[in-house]
Amino acid sequence: MLYFAGIDIGSLCTKSLILNEDDAIIGTSIKRSGAAYRGAGEDALNAALKDANLKSEDLNYIISTGYGRSRIPIADEQITEITCHARGSSFIFPEARAVIDIGGQDSKVIEINSKGRVLKFVMNDKCAAGTGRFLEVMAGSLDIDLEQMSELAKQSKKEVQISSMCTVFAESEVISLFAGGTEKAEIASGIYRAIARRVTGLASHIVSGKKVTMTGGVAKSKGMVWALSKKLKTELLVADDPQIIGALGAALIAKTKFNNL
Amino acid sequence: MKQRALNQCMKVSGDPYGYLKEWKGNNNKKIISCFAMNIPEEIIHAAGLLPVIAWRSNESVSIGHSHVASFNCGLTRSFIDDVLKEKLNFLDGVVINRMCLQAQGIPFILEQNTKWANIIYMSLPALYGSDCIRDFFKSELDRLIIAMEKCSGNKITTGKIVNSIEIYNHNRKLLSDIYEIRRKNIGIISAREMLSIVHSSMIMPKEENNKLLLEVIEELNLKVAEGNHKSGIPVVIYGSLCQTPHPELLDLIENTGMVVVDDDIFIGSRYFVNSLDISDDPIESMANRYLSHIPPCPTKGDYKSNWSTYISDIMNKNKAKAVITLMIRYCPPHMCAYPDDQINFEKKGIPEIMLEVEHEIISLEQVRTRLQSFVETIGGI
Repeated sequence: MLYFAGIDIGSLCTKSLILNEDDAIIGTSIKRSGAAYRGAGEDALNAALKDANLKSEDLNYIISTGYGRSRIPIADEQITEITCHARGSSFIFPEARAVIDIGGQDSKVIEINSKGRVLKFVMNDKCAAGTGRFLEVMAGSLDIDLEQMSELAKQSKKEVQISSMCTVFAESEVISLFAGGTEKAEIASGIYRAIARRVTGLASHIVSGKKVTMTGGVAKSKGMVWALSKKLKTELLVADDPQIIGALGAALIAKTKFNNL
Repeated sequence: MKQRALNQCMKVSGDPYGYLKEWKGNNNKKIISCFAMNIPEEIIHAAGLLPVIAWRSNESVSIGHSHVASFNCGLTRSFIDDVLKEKLNFLDGVVINRMCLQAQGIPFILEQNTKWANIIYMSLPALYGSDCIRDFFKSELDRLIIAMEKCSGNKITTGKIVNSIEIYNHNRKLLSDIYEIRRKNIGIISAREMLSIVHSSMIMPKEENNKLLLEVIEELNLKVAEGNHKSGIPVVIYGSLCQTPHPELLDLIENTGMVVVDDDIFIGSRYFVNSLDISDDPIESMANRYLSHIPPCPTKGDYKSNWSTYISDIMNKNKAKAVITLMIRYCPPHMCAYPDDQINFEKKGIPEIMLEVEHEIISLEQVRTRLQSFVETIGGI
C-alpha cells in the first residue's frame, strides 16, 4: 500500500493528514504551531502517523503547505495553501466552485473548477482582522471560549454593530459595549456579523451564484458559519473537520505528484 | 563572471546619496532633483547642471509624518522625510511636475523647509491633442529654460540643447539595447539588476552613465556566451509609477518560478521608451515626445490610449505568459486606471496579479504565498 502525507503549517495550528492509495484518510492530527514551525510540522506528522499506525519510512510522498511550508525539510515539495484548500475542498464537495478559507492570520476566497484547480483567488493579507486570531481576542474580551461564543451568538435578540475591524480597536469597542450594559450574546453576534461583512466584501464577486464551501479553523465556529451563510444568502458547505482540508489537499497533490514521478 | 559595471550600477542605485555627495565634491556643480516623471532633463543638462530623478528613500518615514499625510504615496512621504532629515542638502533645487494631487502639495512644504533657491513648479499639461496644449507645453519649457539659466548662470542655446538631446538619446539607445539583450536571452539578468541599471541612469551624469552602460553591454554579451541563464514562467511587470518598487519584491517574483522579461515601470522602460528627434527646433522635439501617446499614462487624460493593450503588446513581443501589476499604494491615477485594465486582461485571458508596493515593507511572506499560488494556477497544479 502507498501512503501520502500533507502537513499544513498555519500561523496558529499545524495540521497533518495521512492518505492511502485508495484516497482513504487513515490518520490526522492538529497541534498548536507555536514559534517553531519545523518542530510543529514534525510533531503533527508524527502524531498523524501514530494515528494511522504507520512509520515515517512508510510514506511515499510528503507535501507541506501553509504559512510555514518552507520550514519542513522532510517534505518532498511545498505547495501553497490556496492550491491545497482548493484540491481538498473539491475532494470533499465535488459540487463546490468556491472556497472561503479563514485561517488564523488571513482569509482567502478561491474560485475553483470541477477538478479542484484554482481559477482565481483573492486574499486578505494585510492584517489579522476578521480571522481566527481576531475571534480568539474577541472571545477573550468576553471572557468565554470560542464554542461558548458560537452558542451565545445564536441567543442574541438584538443586532449590535461592531464597527471597527482592527483587532485592537474592536477589542476597545467590545469592552465599551460590555461596560455600557450590552448583553454578551448581542456582542458575540455583532462580532460574527462584522467578520461576515468583511469577508463578503472580499468574496462576493467570486462566490456569487456558486456552491461555496468554508474551510480553515474558523469554519469550526458555528456562529461564524451562521453569520456568513446569512450574509452571503447561501448555505455554506462545511466538512466534518474543515481545519484539515488544507492538509488533505496537500496529501492528494502528493499522491498525484508521486504517480507522475 | 566579470560584472564590474553592473556592480557599479547597483552601488549607485543602492546609495544615491553617497554617490551624489561624492560627485558634487569632485565636480563642484549644482544638482537639480526632478520630481518625478516627464521632467525635460535635457534643458537642465544644457544649463551645465546635473538633473537627477527623485528617489524613494532607503528608510522608514519618521519626521516626515508631521508634514505629509500617511495616505500619500511612498515617494512624496519619503522625499519630504529625507528633506526634513537633511539627507538631501547636497541638492541645489528641485523641478516638480504637477502630475498628481500629491505632487502638487510638495513645493509648499519645500519652500518652508529648505534653503533651496530653485524650486520650480511645472504645470506640464495632462491632456493631448490641441495646438493650444502644445503651445502651453512649450511655454512651460521656455519658463524652465529661464529658471535654469538663472540657477546656473549659463546661457542655454539651441546648440546646447541639441547636444544634450544627443547625449540623452544615446543613453536611451543603450538602455534599450540592454533590454533587447534580455529579450533575446531570457533570464540573463535579474529584475533587480535591471532596475539598478535604469536607476543608475537616473542618478549619474549621462556622459558617465553612457560609458558604464557600454561596459554593462560588454559584460552581458560575455554572459550570453557563457549560457546558464535563469529560467521560469516569462512575465511582464508594469505600473510602479514615479518610484522604485522594492528590489525584494522583484526578487520574490523571480524566486517563485517566474522570470521578468520586460517591463513598463517608471524605473524601467517608461524612462527611455521614446527618443527625441534631432532638429533645429529642440523644443518642438520635446513637445513631440511629451505629447506622444506612448507609453500610455494614467496621470494624463488620454482617452485614445489603452494601457492594457499596450501591455499585452509588450507581452506578445516577449512571448510572456502573465502580467504582474505593481500598484504603488496610494497612487490615485493608477488606482483609477486599474479596474479597466484588470477587466481587459481577464477578457483577453491574460493571467494577472496585482501587488501593492508600499514604502514600508510588511508581510513579504504573504506576498510570496500569493505569487506562488499565481504560479501554481498558471502551471495547472
